[in-house]
Amino acid sequence: MSTVSDAAQRFKESDFGSVLEENSSAALVLPGLLLWSMFMLLPMVYIFILSLTNAEPANLFVGDGRLLGLVPLGEADFIGLENYIELLFSIQAANHILSGAYGSVLDLFLSDPVAVFNYQFWNSFLVTWAFVIVSVTGKVILGIAIAMIMTGNRVRGKRYLRGIIIMPMGVPVIFSILVWRAVFSGAQFGLMNQLLLNIGIIDQAINWFYDGRWLAFSTYVVTEMWLAYPFMVLITVSALQNVNGDLLDAAEVDGAGFFSRMRHVILPSIRRPVMFGTILTSAASFQQFLIPFVFESGSPNRENELLLLFAYKEAFNQNLYGKGAAISLTALFFIGMFMWVAVKRGNLAEEAGEA
Amino acid sequence: MSLASGIVRSVYEDLRGIVLAPYNLAKEFRYTYHGLQRGEIPPKHVAWTWISTFGAVALAGLLMFPIYWMLTIAISGGGIYSFEFIPTNPTIENFIWVIGPLTVPDNIVINGPLVGELFRIPVPASIGGLYILDPAQFGMPRRPEYYSGFIAYAENSAYVSFWTVVVAMAVIIPGAYGMSRRDFIGRKKLLYLYILLTQVGGGLGIAVLIALYTIFQNLGWLNQLLPLGIYYGAGAVPFNTWLLKTYMDGIPISYEEAAIVDGAPSWRIVYEVIIPLSKAGLATVFVFIFLAGWTDFVIAQLMLDQSNWTLPVGLYDYSGRPSEMDWGNFSAFALAFATPLMLVYFFAQRYIESGLSFGGMEG
Repeated sequence: MSTVSDAAQRFKESDFGSVLEENSSAALVLPGLLLWSMFMLLPMVYIFILSLTNAEPANLFVGDGRLLGLVPLGEADFIGLENYIELLFSIQAANHILSGAYGSVLDLFLSDPVAVFNYQFWNSFLVTWAFVIVSVTGKVILGIAIAMIMTGNRVRGKRYLRGIIIMPMGVPVIFSILVWRAVFSGAQFGLMNQLLLNIGIIDQAINWFYDGRWLAFSTYVVTEMWLAYPFMVLITVSALQNVNGDLLDAAEVDGAGFFSRMRHVILPSIRRPVMFGTILTSAASFQQFLIPFVFESGSPNRENELLLLFAYKEAFNQNLYGKGAAISLTALFFIGMFMWVAVKRGNLAEEAGEA
Repeated sequence: MSLASGIVRSVYEDLRGIVLAPYNLAKEFRYTYHGLQRGEIPPKHVAWTWISTFGAVALAGLLMFPIYWMLTIAISGGGIYSFEFIPTNPTIENFIWVIGPLTVPDNIVINGPLVGELFRIPVPASIGGLYILDPAQFGMPRRPEYYSGFIAYAENSAYVSFWTVVVAMAVIIPGAYGMSRRDFIGRKKLLYLYILLTQVGGGLGIAVLIALYTIFQNLGWLNQLLPLGIYYGAGAVPFNTWLLKTYMDGIPISYEEAAIVDGAPSWRIVYEVIIPLSKAGLATVFVFIFLAGWTDFVIAQLMLDQSNWTLPVGLYDYSGRPSEMDWGNFSAFALAFATPLMLVYFFAQRYIESGLSFGGMEG
């Protein structure tokens, strides 16, 4: 870290007192940083430590064992990378690895590649990415479409309409998700069932969360799209308002149809902001916890548990804190990646003097 | 123009726009009609306006339909077995159930945070215990247990949010000022860290939930509202410090220089120059911080027991298992929780739309 070396350099050049005086303004930001570190950074470090132990309530909440006198460890023991190995590999393969019989793992892999891996983890991991890809595609298309309609030249009362359609952004997420659970209720009077029964597409109520894995998955996607479209619409509307009107007029005079104008004028000029919004909304999809939590806990058969819910359930339902911590850390790694990409692609760091 | 009068004026303008909309529409109709008659406006244009406006309205209606559905459930008395676009027998019973019986208390007790009871003002016996909202008038029982407990949950939420706002504001205002106006070792690094952390928000708290729970349990903080409030405040620090810093960057530095020339000490500069000028930024930050505590569900449901539940947890409890829940009660509770926040967003839309840049908001 260059901060550290900068600081060291300055210490060499000047005496301690003047350094302290020069940087006395740091006292203004330190309380906030400390507060944040106590409640966010410390748990991040702690969750890494937990992921290396066999922590569970039975050994974690007894005794006063503390690491460095700070973080409670109870009587949990360090078990190295065992959690991670058990997470990535099936029980059989993990046992081979832990006993050092790597050859047997290779044999197993050659005879049945799938049997080497831990189905539950990889299933959760892959379904999370499937959720990200499908829902983000939907969100971006829906967001651009709504934004185009709501900024149309011939639409009267656009401002009020936009005010109405971004309201989902203002409601608590738990409210929206509970409303959507009611919409997808398996009962006959769930909104979606009522609708489909009335149109006559189905003649029996569908049990949306239990009648099939991908059916439940599609309810997640629809809900996520509804949760996030206001954000995409906001981003796209402000981008559309910056589209060069002269360029559009020129294209129209030159006889460009709607689709050519869209492709050659509108899309190139809104590309950057929409790209940035896409990164942020992908991160939001990746971190989605409440939808599967509220929608019958990732049913059917725990198949649709997105990564964060998987970690939560391993810890609080199965009492495997160590394993849950290892999953959380995997999720944290990807969340960190999203942060980094967002800042790089959004050129947000200019302000902080980092190119 | 002060912030409050600015908000009042824009809300007034919006309301006037809504009220006057039929009049303006009629004027436009007449203009278009005459234009069509005289052949000044091509019929194709008029048709397009109708089609696109109709399409946009239909789309907005479709998107808002789930919320409208909730409303119809909440106000229709006879259950929800079939959807009625306009409920035939509207009732406010469900909303009465949310609020519960309200009586004039025998004593008005003012509690201070942490210290408990501060003042106790006795109420004259003649009005003490009188019903402000008497459920018996609506043919509903007076037993308080019959009702939702919305007010008790709201009190818990308010207590949590109070601490969230106090703690977060106390560190964010000096932090933002320091970031905006001063220099020190590691300032840019810290700003970079904060910008990184603003990007993804909520998931971080959930990802470290296991560690957080263990720490809270170890310190005996489970089922306590104060630590929870402080936790939300801590989580709000990076985003709001950055936001307020960005706002403060827009205040011309010459004001401060003038104050320095006049010999004002630095605390007075902050108190009398910076804070009054950043009112709009402070208000925005206040709303964001307040909502952090007011709307969180995940952490609260893990940390709190029923006696201390906040509004979101209470709401979740009433959603129960879909087959057993009382849909009318649930919908009314949900709407009572969400409507105030929706209205704020509706009227704040133009500010939010300008990309949180505060462009239209003068301090």
